[in-house]
Amino acid sequence: MFTRRRAIILLTLTSVLLITMDLRGSSVTSAARSAFGALFRPVESVARVATRPIENAWHGITDYNSVVNENKRLKDQVAYDQGAGISAVASVREAQELLSLNGLPTLAGINSCTAQVVGESPSNYTQTVEINRGTECGIKVGMPVLNAAGLIGKVTDVFVKRAVVMLITDPEYSLAVKVVNVPATTTTTTLPLAPGETSFVTAPTTTTTTTTTTIPKTTTTQGIKGFTPGSTIATIAPAITQAPAVTVNTAATNSTGSSTTITQSATTTTTIAPSITVPSGADVPLRETGALEGRGLSQKPVVRFIEADSRFGTINIGSPVISAGGATSLAPPDIVLGTVSRVINRQGTLGPILEVKVAANLDSLNFVRVLLYQPSTEKATTP
Amino acid sequence: MIDRIVVVMENRYVRLFMVALLMLGLQTTLFNDLRPFGVCLQVMLLLAASAGLARGSETGAIAGFMVGLMYDLVLTTPLGVGAIVFAVVGYLAGYAHSFVHESTWWSRMLLAAIASVGGMILMPLALTIVGTSGVMTFSVFKIAIVVAIFNAAFCLPVERLCRWALAEQVVSR
Repeated sequence: MFTRRRAIILLTLTSVLLITMDLRGSSVTSAARSAFGALFRPVESVARVATRPIENAWHGITDYNSVVNENKRLKDQVAYDQGAGISAVASVREAQELLSLNGLPTLAGINSCTAQVVGESPSNYTQTVEINRGTECGIKVGMPVLNAAGLIGKVTDVFVKRAVVMLITDPEYSLAVKVVNVPATTTTTTLPLAPGETSFVTAPTTTTTTTTTTIPKTTTTQGIKGFTPGSTIATIAPAITQAPAVTVNTAATNSTGSSTTITQSATTTTTIAPSITVPSGADVPLRETGALEGRGLSQKPVVRFIEADSRFGTINIGSPVISAGGATSLAPPDIVLGTVSRVINRQGTLGPILEVKVAANLDSLNFVRVLLYQPSTEKATTP
Repeated sequence: MIDRIVVVMENRYVRLFMVALLMLGLQTTLFNDLRPFGVCLQVMLLLAASAGLARGSETGAIAGFMVGLMYDLVLTTPLGVGAIVFAVVGYLAGYAHSFVHESTWWSRMLLAAIASVGGMILMPLALTIVGTSGVMTFSVFKIAIVVAIFNAAFCLPVERLCRWALAEQVVSR
């Protein structure tokens, strides 16, 4: 017969034992989770079906106005993004071709598995979601997960037909990233010129400039800030040469006595000096690496370990944050994570801490893509 | 066969397990989706506290441990953290209730609220101790208050449920 004190001591010791086993990665705890999951899934499915009307009623009451407003906003956004999307797709394709030509890894060469988010963590302290694909699709622990907007997290637990994804806002999440420091953007509009004036700019153009300067410089804004490959100096020197048309008639007589008329026609040639794209050193977006860390519920992730480098300059709000990649990184390079939303400068040689606005909307995840990517250090080597 | 099932079901912890399984289903679906003020309501914590209120500190501790362990099995937090925290909540709820001379509905609601606040502060504390970083923030207090209000509002029916589930086995021969 247990006394009260013995019961409490026994419960405490059992808890400590379980925590120790789980933290050391014991297979017993993993098996227990799997077994309980198999028992619990049918109950959860029934509960989900039974409570759906209540959930719908709740969202109908609390979210109606925000949904209507969001719908209007999204219609505007879709109209705006259609144009930018076309140019972005073209740019991405060109970039991938360029990378593959140079033998560099691209996302296009990585297989992926599309899954749907079927649930999120019922806890206030962990930011995880559950997806409906697992090992049957080739998913393994550590693989990066992204949606249309960018990286959302990594796989932390895998079962046969489901997997748990830790979001990038989770305090346990960390990833090597690059910050691309883009120049500050100003928008100027060039009005149509008066008749008789000549110019290469004939329509209102959005230009990107770093400082106020009198040197005319036209660049193309591709829709994705920071992904325009440098600032293209589109200077076309119109060296036009017009040679007079010359017709040379040569009457030649061959051995047979017949004559042949050879007509040489020199046409008008227009020589345009080759447009050389030379990114000026000051205009090339600089990159600095750091570590992105989640900070939990309702807090934006931060990037630490950015060097206080004078060459890198002042980091601008809106600079893109992308994955750094590398041999040991769990994510391939150049996946968009978000943009810098706040820069917290620190004294001395300590680099700034950057708050990141995540590109993906983590509150309403639906379809996601698991990149079946493993870094070279994780791949099993054949004997 | 049916007799054997009936005998098993007469065990109060088996009944609690079945009740907790249903509550866990609600926790991961309904209460996971309805997030007033952005806070996920903790119906499993309510179950642990109600068990303590219904059947005293020792039964509350064992029931809390069981409920917490079940909750741990569906979370990604280390297994056992929720179990020990919920066991403490169940124990404290039962222990505090033993000091109440004449229990009223509002005293039970108040104790459920206090136990919930304790649980919601103990949970991030325990997670921090086992090495999880970034959970001990000021938002813990907001979470604790919202959870406490909800648990106080629903503690009476859940306590009645626990009183039925944890009733002593009646042996009839």
